[in-house]
Amino acid sequence: MTAMLSRPRRRGVRATLLVLPAVIPVAIVVIGGIGTTVVQSLGLMPLVGTPALSVKTFEGTDDLLSSALLSLGIAVVSTAIAAVVGFFTAVLIISGNWGGRIVGALSAAAVTVPHLVGAASVGLLLSDSGVLARIFGIPPESWPALVAGPTWFAVIAEYAWKESAFIALIIVGTLATRITSYDETAAVLGAHRGARLRFVVLPLAAPSLLVASTIAFAYTLGSYEVAWLLGKTYPEPLSVMALRLFNSASLTARPEAAAVAVITLLLTAAVVVLAMLGLRRMRAWQ
Amino acid sequence: MTTELMTSAITLTSVTKSYSTTAPAALHGVNLDILPGTSTAIVGPSGSGKSTILRIIAGLEDANGGRVRLSGRDVTALLPEQRGISMVFQRPLLFPHLTVLDNVAFADRAAGVSRAQARKQAREHLEMVQMGTFASRSPQSLSGGQQQRVAVARALAAKPSVLLLDEPFSALDPGLKDEMHAMIASIRAAVNPTILFVTHDRDEASAMAERIVVLENGQLLQHDTVDHVFHQPASLAVARLLGGKNAFAGVIDNGVHHSAIGAVAIDGDVGSGRATLVFRHEAVTSTLRHATSGADAAALATPHADAAACQRLGPRELRGTVTAAVQRGPRRELVVRVGDADVHTEAAPGNLLSVGDPVTVSLPCEALWTVPA
Amino acid sequence: MTVTTTSVDLDTARSNQQQRRMPGDHGRPLTQSRGLARALRILSTALIALWFALPFLPLVLWSFADQWMHPAAFPMETGTDGLTAAIANGGGRAFLHSLALSLVVAAIATPLGAMAARALSRGQVRFGKAITVLLFSPVMLPPFAAVLGLNVLLLRAWVPPVVGVVLVLVAVAIPYTTFSMRAAYAAYDDGFDEAARTLGASSRLTLWRIHLPLIAPALARSAFLAFLVGWSDYLITLVVGGGHLVTLPLIIASSASGVGNESSVAVLSLSAVIPPLILLGLIARSRNLDPGRQR
Repeated sequence: MTAMLSRPRRRGVRATLLVLPAVIPVAIVVIGGIGTTVVQSLGLMPLVGTPALSVKTFEGTDDLLSSALLSLGIAVVSTAIAAVVGFFTAVLIISGNWGGRIVGALSAAAVTVPHLVGAASVGLLLSDSGVLARIFGIPPESWPALVAGPTWFAVIAEYAWKESAFIALIIVGTLATRITSYDETAAVLGAHRGARLRFVVLPLAAPSLLVASTIAFAYTLGSYEVAWLLGKTYPEPLSVMALRLFNSASLTARPEAAAVAVITLLLTAAVVVLAMLGLRRMRAWQ
Repeated sequence: MTTELMTSAITLTSVTKSYSTTAPAALHGVNLDILPGTSTAIVGPSGSGKSTILRIIAGLEDANGGRVRLSGRDVTALLPEQRGISMVFQRPLLFPHLTVLDNVAFADRAAGVSRAQARKQAREHLEMVQMGTFASRSPQSLSGGQQQRVAVARALAAKPSVLLLDEPFSALDPGLKDEMHAMIASIRAAVNPTILFVTHDRDEASAMAERIVVLENGQLLQHDTVDHVFHQPASLAVARLLGGKNAFAGVIDNGVHHSAIGAVAIDGDVGSGRATLVFRHEAVTSTLRHATSGADAAALATPHADAAACQRLGPRELRGTVTAAVQRGPRRELVVRVGDADVHTEAAPGNLLSVGDPVTVSLPCEALWTVPA
Repeated sequence: MTVTTTSVDLDTARSNQQQRRMPGDHGRPLTQSRGLARALRILSTALIALWFALPFLPLVLWSFADQWMHPAAFPMETGTDGLTAAIANGGGRAFLHSLALSLVVAAIATPLGAMAARALSRGQVRFGKAITVLLFSPVMLPPFAAVLGLNVLLLRAWVPPVVGVVLVLVAVAIPYTTFSMRAAYAAYDDGFDEAARTLGASSRLTLWRIHLPLIAPALARSAFLAFLVGWSDYLITLVVGGGHLVTLPLIIASSASGVGNESSVAVLSLSAVIPPLILLGLIARSRNLDPGRQR
């Protein structure tokens, strides 16, 4: 009797013990990291002096708004490109033709490239003395300022390149096993290729497209090295601003860096919540 | 088989298919004619090419050779969506992102019909499969049988000239299967589509179809009425594939077949020479014999040279001993040793026979059939 | 003579009709196109292939360019100057550091993720939903936002910088390992473990001889993802490591932010691209041990 009663509880304890080793480092990093950042941003953890609660770092930090808008702009444009390219790449891969196999291998290769390496390559490719300028024989003074220019072209291109490969692979992963039978079913019900793409493939891919795009968006918003390497020095995206303040000699800069980080966290959280609401609506009609 | 006046609903002309150069061909020059409004079952062992035929008719596979015609129109080069067929698979494959109603409305929507109009027509088809009350539900909330009903409604809503079903009910419980067979019968009464379906269930084949196509190793062995393929198989292979257990090699001489179970007179003009005697075990019964005469023997009660006398003579009788008995539901299957041969029979009603019992086996004249040796 | 029954019963038969054919295989009309559609398809395939391949081009061209003055469309002299410069910059040591760091991160994050996934997929964990959200959150977390605070926290706790880097990278890798293992466990049939136990195997033996071999391919995929997290990281190694751990991305960043060392950047970048590709190839070749659907 007691054995029977204690069984499920023991199983619960065992499950908790299995989860704990993963939960502990994640909790330290996420809760500890965010907590300390928030505490710092509120002036409760200064490098020198006495802690005092204040929100003046959020007001005192110059250009916070323009940086936030810039970060959002870069993330929106690059994620939008990545979502469109990623979806069509996934459709090509799923079709399974030889072309799809080549595209599948190339996009898988792009996913494994570190963003920093991607940024370095895009720099070598697009700068005014870059490989493209040389191949087309265009002198540096006539080549548009793609790297470190006002359009943030190279930064957006790098994000769109890497994240389109990521989005494509996520969609392929969720569709590959079941899309063929649904595609065939739709075809024998008389749906031509365009109708199948619109009524079957796109809606089936939509949830994973949304999730993958949200991950890509959050990554782009919080990423540092690409914008730092390929971007203009002013105005600067949130991440670059935060790191510059963090490394600056000024003692007041640390709380300001933390404030920038908190702004970024809030923006990311807002986007994630919106995406989850969207996902719930999608699931509702499933 | 084809009537001059009537265009066949489906015509296959020497259709050949092989999946790779190394694998054996899936279909060898299959010719097939299906009349409009009929229901036909394709049966055969695994890998016989049953599903391949359906997929080629649907346009989901390209044949390597041969033509496919639907209502006289050559569709060999057409894509599936251009053929005017629809198909139900073993899995219901209801689109998970659409409600039950919108699944049924799918074909109309894909054809550009407005949403309201498509839903209106979909509702009628849902009613036809008694699923009208489930219209706004999600497919995931339905049971397997309900899902398959919706899949059938969805296929019908495409108003196909030909409805193809690939083992549609094989994943369902026996009771549900019977309901599905009744549903198909009511659909046939209402809209009378041409139906071609694949099944591995002989009972389902005879329950849903008037005609059966028997396939083995990509070759069409027989295409005939249900009664004929079971009782008058074209070959030993067909008899075997349809579960025939009795086959006795021998020689026909003057209307009488001679084999290990003795001499048996055969009805009709059967020619002469080597032939194998076949009969369904369900059609022959054993009754307890009170052993008064001597040993079991391949004693034919009334051998007769005159084949035409079949009806007059009544059933032939064999004597033997039960060597195995298996109860299958209400029926009791027996193996009876007759001379050197085993005859599969059923116990006559009321005969609780068991191993060792002496029995008399009655062979009704109509059950006997010979196939080329 | 009695003919043995070959029933038309075909439960095992479906394998034959569905012999793992991919949509684009020969003879599948659905994904074959004709005429204009075909031309469009080839064009779009070529464009997307170019999109993904183009950023690899400068790496290949510059890696072997000893001399490449501006107007020339292609390198004028090829050689190994870039390689020499990359090694002189400390590329070799950085490569080894990167490899060691990524392997350590994979070795820790993979079993942690697998264990958590196992427990979560069985639905016996209290607060399972909250834990799932927490374990997934590092994916959405801007690394710099966490790192700014963590840096202070880890310094005050006297955690050695290298240990701190591993800790943070493991936390970032755990979402990937947990969720790829969860997908694997969703498809995993506990019947195999139960069958082994009823055949007299202890739970330990079942784990080592049945369970682990069956999930090995999924473990390899998870480990690969965790490896990529360590291999790709720049910011966490820079800030938390505080210069104590110089990995390949750090060297690449310092070279790429300077001027005139294109071929050294290209060689370093290429050496950062190739190891994951080799691992990817190995994983793509290892086939799932597919027990098939056994009903």
